[in-house]
Amino acid sequence: MKPFSLQTRRDFLRTGVLGGALSWTVPAFLANTFSALHAEAADSATQTATGKDATILVVLQMAGGNDGLNTVVPYASDDYRKARQRIGVPAKSVLKINEQIGLHQSLAGFKNLYDAGHLSVIQGVGYPNPNRSHFRSTEIWQTASDAEKNESYGWLGRYFDNACAGADPTIGVNIGRQMPQAFNGRKPTGVCLENPESYRFNAGRRTAEGEMNADEKSFRELNQPAAEDAAMENSGATVGAIGGPVAHHGSVLDFLQRTAMDAELSSDKILAITKKSQNKAEYPTTQLARSLKLVGQLIAGGLPTRIYYVSQGGYDTHTNQAGQHERLLTELGDSVKAFVEDLKAQGNLQRVLVMTFSEFGRRVAENANGGTDHGAAAPMFVVGDKVKAGLHGKYPSLAPADLFNGDLQYNVDFRSVYAGLLEEWLKTKSEPILGRKFSPLPLV
Amino acid sequence: MLNPLPASKWNYACAAHLYNRAGFGGTPSEIESLLRLGAEGAVAWFVDYEKIPENENRPDWAKPDPERSQRYMEIQQSARQEMNSDQTEEQKKEEAEKRRKAVQQLQRDQQINLQQFRGQWLQRMAKGPRPLQEKLTLFWHGHFATSAIKVRNAFFMWQQIDTFRRMGSGNWLALLNAVATDPAMLIWLDQAQSREQHPNENFARECMELFTLGEGHYTEKDVTEAARAMTGWSLDRVQEEYHFRAGMHDYGSKTVLGKTGNFYGRDVLEIIVAQPQAARFIAGKLWKFFGGEEADPALIEALAEVFRSNGNSFKPLLRAMFRSEEFYAGAVVGKQVKSPVQWLVGTLRLLERPMPPPIVSTEMIKTLGQELLLPPNVKGWDGGLSWITTNTLLARYNEAAILIMGQGNLGADGDSRPGTKMAAQFANAAARRMVPIDIEAIVGQGDRRDAETLIVALGQRFMQGHLTDKHRQILGDYLGSRTEFDDVDVRHAIRLLMCTPEYQVT
Repeated sequence: MKPFSLQTRRDFLRTGVLGGALSWTVPAFLANTFSALHAEAADSATQTATGKDATILVVLQMAGGNDGLNTVVPYASDDYRKARQRIGVPAKSVLKINEQIGLHQSLAGFKNLYDAGHLSVIQGVGYPNPNRSHFRSTEIWQTASDAEKNESYGWLGRYFDNACAGADPTIGVNIGRQMPQAFNGRKPTGVCLENPESYRFNAGRRTAEGEMNADEKSFRELNQPAAEDAAMENSGATVGAIGGPVAHHGSVLDFLQRTAMDAELSSDKILAITKKSQNKAEYPTTQLARSLKLVGQLIAGGLPTRIYYVSQGGYDTHTNQAGQHERLLTELGDSVKAFVEDLKAQGNLQRVLVMTFSEFGRRVAENANGGTDHGAAAPMFVVGDKVKAGLHGKYPSLAPADLFNGDLQYNVDFRSVYAGLLEEWLKTKSEPILGRKFSPLPLV
Repeated sequence: MLNPLPASKWNYACAAHLYNRAGFGGTPSEIESLLRLGAEGAVAWFVDYEKIPENENRPDWAKPDPERSQRYMEIQQSARQEMNSDQTEEQKKEEAEKRRKAVQQLQRDQQINLQQFRGQWLQRMAKGPRPLQEKLTLFWHGHFATSAIKVRNAFFMWQQIDTFRRMGSGNWLALLNAVATDPAMLIWLDQAQSREQHPNENFARECMELFTLGEGHYTEKDVTEAARAMTGWSLDRVQEEYHFRAGMHDYGSKTVLGKTGNFYGRDVLEIIVAQPQAARFIAGKLWKFFGGEEADPALIEALAEVFRSNGNSFKPLLRAMFRSEEFYAGAVVGKQVKSPVQWLVGTLRLLERPMPPPIVSTEMIKTLGQELLLPPNVKGWDGGLSWITTNTLLARYNEAAILIMGQGNLGADGDSRPGTKMAAQFANAAARRMVPIDIEAIVGQGDRRDAETLIVALGQRFMQGHLTDKHRQILGDYLGSRTEFDDVDVRHAIRLLMCTPEYQVT
């Protein structure tokens, strides 16, 4: 393919996949790349996100291994009482869902959502041959691989590769400093940000409003791959691995150049959005709430994102669990509830789902330190307007004979949850993303 | 494998690379001095660091003080105690407030000490006489990643880092034993509470998975059995030292990694270190940190063999690695993403700038994704490409401006989290008081006579000669055809060089 002429590229950008949102200066090489992507996109199943009507998935990671048993509490179970003599949640304080189970008292926010038909609880989620290492199990959840296999690409990265080729880098947005492994793909996709005010190149010298100063101009040039590389890019099918001076530095530099380019483009966009769009609900002041608040603002502003990723840490409760867990669940429930209220007021709730996950649940028996050790199966939550609210799956049996190494056994493979969300929510085939067919859990 | 680099290949670029990896980078004159030592002499200068005298500067709080620890424990205990039921509501409220304030003061003291410690450590990395000792200490901190968030004791954190510093290039088993009985580690992985009736597997598991063998080289059963053997390793909180609690130890027979006996924890460590995999695992981690992300298994095996045949001692391994042709290969040089600490310390060295106040320097590396004494989890920092996201890359570019020009805004004002907001504001206030760098220390008047000369001088220092034609051209356009460049122009040109993908690697 021959490189597009400048005129064509500009026309394309003004009217093409990015809609009318590109009123700022776009570096030529970007235009170049997008043209190529556009051509490729024309004959593939590429999903384009306009930021106005596409569905959005918010992935919420509860890092550290959440104690599922004290989150969705089987309060009527004698086995639970026996195993959790010190830290069991008393039946009287549980927020009851039915005669058997209820939510931890700190999840009032979730109980509200449940009663309003906005929350589904997927019980007993896990995978075969569970691993009790935080890192390995997190990797399994992030890559959707079998426990015996090592995958480096994440399930969301494969979604970007398979279904979003040519998309704007903000197709995936992680709130935080570090990219989750789930975003790893053949082609690095997605941006990370923590604080929109500092998410831009600060030129240092003042210039008149709207004018680009010499520092900024040189900065932009320094962070573009050389022109001939961009042209070469257009000649092959390897779109995305933007070629820098490979012979000299290899892939580390490619990655840096790619990230620099994404940073430049996304910061322009995000800055424009945060200047004009506002949240429509009050959020708590916790870290998770702050992340969701930013997501709410970006959704309100129409960032063309399909996947947002937020996380909350601290669930590794080996000692004195009760107080910590209470604080964590309060943060979780209240933050998500505020987020839902925000989206509802914006009129965007019907196109957003939130999915929570944690790398594992915890051992059924409490330990000697008023805490719990690494376990296996645990519940997941999916929140939204379009979700099939209520209970999914079956609560795993706590009977000692049914446990495996003291752990709950799973009933629902987490990849069925992913499959359900990919097929029915993100409207894409799950098989190429998850590596094989998992029966999609009907969540939507 | 591991052939020493021939003398004929030892040049400025090699010396610069060694300085970057075994230390935190060198200025042109430092690299020249290193170059003159020859490859063997240069490596010896880094590795045999004990020969270089150093003044120890141990703060008062970093000494055992039973009186202080007693006081701390009383404050913490009283905060958990029930109120006296004879008291009126008013009295109870007052008492609760008093307790709350005491705990808060205690936490604040710890924070202040930790902050002072971070500042001193960064200072040592930047200006200390033994670069490899500090680099190794940083490696061990990432390897045995222990966080103050759970340890909550600045003295214990100081002591652990000091152990890494003292023993970091010595014998593996000795270091492992020291770490296993280190107070901060005993708290961090819950070993202090592990007892026969309820062994806690946390340390036993991470010890095999992350510290010594790696996944797939032990079984779940090995973990459980090792945890039994390690019961009794505990802590005397008043004396602030390791204490073996005989009553908590499981004296029964255990089978770990195929060996059976009435083992203690130290026996398990000895069994682990004797595994062929143990040498391979730690050699691989050292190569990844000092050398390259990708390693030829044969190279790792060769390094492991050097390690084994020298009684599991690190110094011969380090010497062989830094001397090897593999270490100077094209696939290694310039292919490592600078960690935030490396980026900051290296940049300050190149800018000939004194360390900013600790509150500024720690806020800076925090924004870039690394907090000393607060690794994200026991696995440590993932490193490599994971340091780079759109967020952290922009932050590097903006922090470069503050380090060069001074009077910056760290951009942390938007952080509204209670507790961190005030710290961020203090950091910003301190950053605004910073002064610009002294350009005279970096380029002489002669280097300023035309744009081309200036660009070459800056390229030599900041890109170590790896200036591309593109850099040359864009900077040339930026500086224009003038023949006079004031300090402000030069500062801005340096800033632009640091805002390139190329500056982020080493």
